[in-house]
Amino acid sequence: MVMQLSAKQSLHLPRIAELIRVEKLSDREKVFEFKFDDGKELGQMPGQFVEISIFGVGEAPISVTSSPTHRGSFELAVRATGSLTNKLHTLEKGAKVGIRGPFGNGFPIQTLKGKDILFVAGGIGLFPLRSLINYVLDNRKDFGEVNTLFGCRSPQERLFIGQLQEWNTCKDMCFLETVDRCSDDSWTGNVGVITTLFPKVSFDPAKTYAIVVGPPIMYRFVIAECLKKGLAEDHIIMSLERRMKCGVGKCGHCQINGLYCCQEGPVFTYAQVKSLKEAV
Amino acid sequence: MNRIIVDNNLRSWLKELAEKYTLVAPVTSDGVTLFKHVKGSQVDSLDLQYSNTAVSPKGCFFPLSETMFSIGSDGVNVIAPVSTDREVVIFGIHPCDAAGIALIDRVFLAEPTDTHYKEKRDRTILIGLACNAPSPECFCPSVGGGPANPMYLDILLTQTSAGYIVQATTGKGKELTPAARMEEKDIPLPPPPHVTPVPLEGVSEMMRRNFDSPYWDRVADRCLHCNICSYVCPCCYCFDIRDYMGKDKIDRVRSWESCQSAGFTMIAGGHDPRPTKGARLRQRWYHKLLYFPELFGDIKCTGCGRCVRSCPVNIDIREIITDVQKLNV
Repeated sequence: MVMQLSAKQSLHLPRIAELIRVEKLSDREKVFEFKFDDGKELGQMPGQFVEISIFGVGEAPISVTSSPTHRGSFELAVRATGSLTNKLHTLEKGAKVGIRGPFGNGFPIQTLKGKDILFVAGGIGLFPLRSLINYVLDNRKDFGEVNTLFGCRSPQERLFIGQLQEWNTCKDMCFLETVDRCSDDSWTGNVGVITTLFPKVSFDPAKTYAIVVGPPIMYRFVIAECLKKGLAEDHIIMSLERRMKCGVGKCGHCQINGLYCCQEGPVFTYAQVKSLKEAV
Repeated sequence: MNRIIVDNNLRSWLKELAEKYTLVAPVTSDGVTLFKHVKGSQVDSLDLQYSNTAVSPKGCFFPLSETMFSIGSDGVNVIAPVSTDREVVIFGIHPCDAAGIALIDRVFLAEPTDTHYKEKRDRTILIGLACNAPSPECFCPSVGGGPANPMYLDILLTQTSAGYIVQATTGKGKELTPAARMEEKDIPLPPPPHVTPVPLEGVSEMMRRNFDSPYWDRVADRCLHCNICSYVCPCCYCFDIRDYMGKDKIDRVRSWESCQSAGFTMIAGGHDPRPTKGARLRQRWYHKLLYFPELFGDIKCTGCGRCVRSCPVNIDIREIITDVQKLNV
């Protein structure tokens, strides 16, 4: 007897979502806003990711950049770098994609409540962190002092410029920005790597959690700076990037030693990462 | 007293099973034994003395390649794969291969459950055959198994001069046992054949201490990353997911993959957390001998010897286990 398996039975089956807005962020990055066809929410927490499908091309893990406080739709900010992300960059409003997730542990919101926060974002590390920064600003009374540091390579690579402007003038947090280098006078702000911003902020290391997201090279220097400032190892929180192929803890691609980054991560404390070989 | 089924009765029972179930059994052709779907007419020619199949039967549950679902050319309409609810009997599976399936169960049946694997696992009955011809590369007793271990099987048959002793260990197995074809006889279970042990005592601890040893790069130097070790392994389960364009639909296909592949861990932009052959080979042995035992208590190896026999450059897990014990920290 032949039977038709209910498609819902597949762990790997995505839900269909529609692209409702595309916005260019820089030469290589765009932000895409999606809405599920069934009208349901994604239901993510800051720091979680989804597997996005473009049928015929494949699937890729992308962190959610919008805060869950934003209802009705969600945003993925993406750099065009592989086959799927390049294809995604050609899609226009109205295109249909598949979405699985949200996956991963996300940032430890409960731990952060009532604490002071130091956000440190490098380049497109801003994408996953933006979800948490906006969540904190939307629930401002639940958190203590907030400092945010953002660095990218050049003024041309700044992302979410409108949002950066808002943060710059917002009274709810101290926001500092820098670029690694600038060859013209288009930029009047700080120049230098992100660690050059550390002397400009003051925080109480006992009450502060640092949330650091950026390229692998940035972690080494920023973590050293955080430790120098007196932050405990378990007060330094980071999000790791891995090749999360299935998102459900089976396929093996995202394994760091014995753990599955897609399930137990991508968010770890430095205390955890320190004892993991090959983590950073 | 043991229940015995003689060879003739066993074969007529298998023919009956082939009517009602999809029967999968070891088939030898041109000197290579593989698990294949067999018809009743093929039962008489089945070779029950085989040593080990070239590839483990994990593919019955986790196929080399499977379409998980398809999407219509509209990009929205989901087409479920056509499946069957016919129950499957795998006959003649050796205890080591049943142990391999039990190891994959730990991961694929854990939440969130892998639906494609579970669906096949639920409708399969395992009739094992105690191994009476272990290969020189086998070491199942060293990893908690044995040539006549009935664990992880529904029924185990053990060959004696008077016929096969039938041990049904699960409810499914007891229900299937052909009472009318068996007789009670005072024949004891024969002693299992000798298998050369591998010294595994303390290996996890030695691995924990020797992650940074140059030993791993040295062993991996000759690895061709052909991935055969993972493909023939009864308990390796890494996979890849890809889309294939058909004429009027797109198939999303899951296939076997190996942590030994270059680029297995590479992320967008080209950064690779495990960029060298040494690091990848180390990951495979560490997963088997340290990480998996830390999580589940058991070594992720069944001692079937397939990777040893298949490796074109003679990378030998037994040698690695022995070498690790002697490494200096």
